[in-house]
Amino acid sequence: MDTDHYTLVARDISKSFGRNRLLRNINIALSTGESLAVTGPNGSGKSTLLMILAGLLKQGAGSVTHAASGEIHRDDWLAHIGYTGPLINAYDELTAVENIMFARHGAGACARMEALLERFRLAEHRDKKIKHYSSGMKQRLKIILSIINDPPVLILDEPGTNLDAEGKDLVRSYIDSVRSKKIIIIATNDPDEETLCTGGIRLG
Amino acid sequence: MVRDIIRNLRKDFRVEFRSRFALNVSIAFAVITTTALSLAAGGVPFSPRVQSMLLWLIIFFSAMNGLSHIFVREEDQGTSLFLRITASADSIFASKLIYNLAFMAIVLCVVTPLFMFFMQVTVRDAVYFAGSVAGGGLSIAASTTIMAAMVAKAGGKGSLFTIISFPVLLPVLWLSILSTASSIESAGHADYGTLIFLLAFSGFITAISFLLFRYVWQD
Amino acid sequence: MPLTIVMAFLWAPPAALLGDASRILYFHVPIAWVSFLAFVVSGILSILHLSGVKKQNGGLDEKAYHSAAIGFTFTIMTVITGSIWARISWGTFWNWDPRETSIVIILLIYIAYFSLQGALTDNEKRGRIGSTYLILAMVTLPFFVFLVPRLYPSLHPDPIINADKKIYLDDHMKLTLIVGILSFSILYCYLFDLMNRILVIRKKIEEYRETSN
Repeated sequence: MDTDHYTLVARDISKSFGRNRLLRNINIALSTGESLAVTGPNGSGKSTLLMILAGLLKQGAGSVTHAASGEIHRDDWLAHIGYTGPLINAYDELTAVENIMFARHGAGACARMEALLERFRLAEHRDKKIKHYSSGMKQRLKIILSIINDPPVLILDEPGTNLDAEGKDLVRSYIDSVRSKKIIIIATNDPDEETLCTGGIRLG
Repeated sequence: MVRDIIRNLRKDFRVEFRSRFALNVSIAFAVITTTALSLAAGGVPFSPRVQSMLLWLIIFFSAMNGLSHIFVREEDQGTSLFLRITASADSIFASKLIYNLAFMAIVLCVVTPLFMFFMQVTVRDAVYFAGSVAGGGLSIAASTTIMAAMVAKAGGKGSLFTIISFPVLLPVLWLSILSTASSIESAGHADYGTLIFLLAFSGFITAISFLLFRYVWQD
Repeated sequence: MPLTIVMAFLWAPPAALLGDASRILYFHVPIAWVSFLAFVVSGILSILHLSGVKKQNGGLDEKAYHSAAIGFTFTIMTVITGSIWARISWGTFWNWDPRETSIVIILLIYIAYFSLQGALTDNEKRGRIGSTYLILAMVTLPFFVFLVPRLYPSLHPDPIINADKKIYLDDHMKLTLIVGILSFSILYCYLFDLMNRILVIRKKIEEYRETSN
């Protein structure tokens, strides 16, 4: 979208569900070109933290700020963030192309779509309904959906789920190719994906 | 904003008309109740008051079967988070509202002629009749859209949608029944104040829903 | 409270037309007043909750819920006392007079509100969506105020009392009624406060349990 310098700062994030305190005083500061791997055992709050950073969930305490040239209002975050995670599902009744056309905004997305479909080897399945997709193909599509608008911040929750070796390679090479221009946050337990990032935190 | 709404609408219509589940259920419900009533009546025509009461009962319950689907589907199929990260709350509400209006229009276009055919309704003041049916339908669709969002968040549990919609819709149903009855009964007694009331009600409730929708939609 | 009871039964003279049965007035009117008050309070709390005012010890949504719970109980009592009175003075328990209609609508809104709350499992969601529903239901009430009197004529004595106090109520009766309204309002405040305090205590116990684990 733009090559502006972009920063993401999280201060003292805490979150609890009922009596269960999941996150405790987490601090993160990232700017364009930096990337962060969030690791930890299952149930340690990786997904929750990522959803808070994307503005999809309210933190219990603390603050999250996104800023480009000035601070960005919470309502507008999603225009700058590409997010995908296990809770995201594309529309079953639509084809890959229709789903992508729904997710994109702004001009120039058509060419990008072609390129991304090629890159993630989905071009020949582009007009199939998603309900006929395998779970690995769905995961590839979800990654395309999160990056179709070329967002300056990319938040990926377990991007390697359900992917075969080729798929994981494709995701890694994509991340590697864009990480100097973006903020990237990945929740993962895959050591290969972890090494892609410039920093890391461990939960739990 | 407008482009967002069109994007949403195109998606909603595509998804809904590929399965047509909600629409089929609503219309099947209307057909079954109408024919059942007609059978039970055995060809004896009812009084205008009863006719219009039955008409609105059928419209209300057919609508209740379908209007919540637009939001419940998003939760059922797990697509609501995808929708949330792709479109703003305002554009989502606007597109769902437009979709529900279209849905309601289709239901009305099927139910009303069917009802008139089976129940031997002769309308004396056609314009007023059409006006009150359309106005009532508009109000129902406008006020239940946000209720649908609430019900979807509550897990779309069966008749909850009807329960929470009914108190809010009561004035609409009430007036629509009265005005429809009077349009069936006699010509020239059209009280257009009723139609204005229905329009004002829909406009008002839409405005309030617009303000409140983000609180329902966002976590 | 005891003062109201004593005054209602012993002090105030019976109404000329209705006889001793009219003493139910001193309970019916204050109870109806409280159910209205509780409804308005929970509506206002809901608006405050959504507009983001934060308070310690229990969210405003929970307070709104408590107020609605009290209001619901009082609404049912209003309907019961009202229909007993209606039976005595008009001969039937129920005949859709405007006030009866509006109380039924309030009752329906409450029922819908509680069903909705029951269906929502997530605490935060429950507060937000419940509040939204209450506000939505509240703003439709003025439409009824405009609509209902046009549809049905009223038999209810309250407008007569309000318009022409001297005929129906002498000073003793008026005073009894005012004391009644006051004492029932105090009862409402007391119950409301009690429920809120129970909530606070429950939360503290929970916190304590958590820290001791």
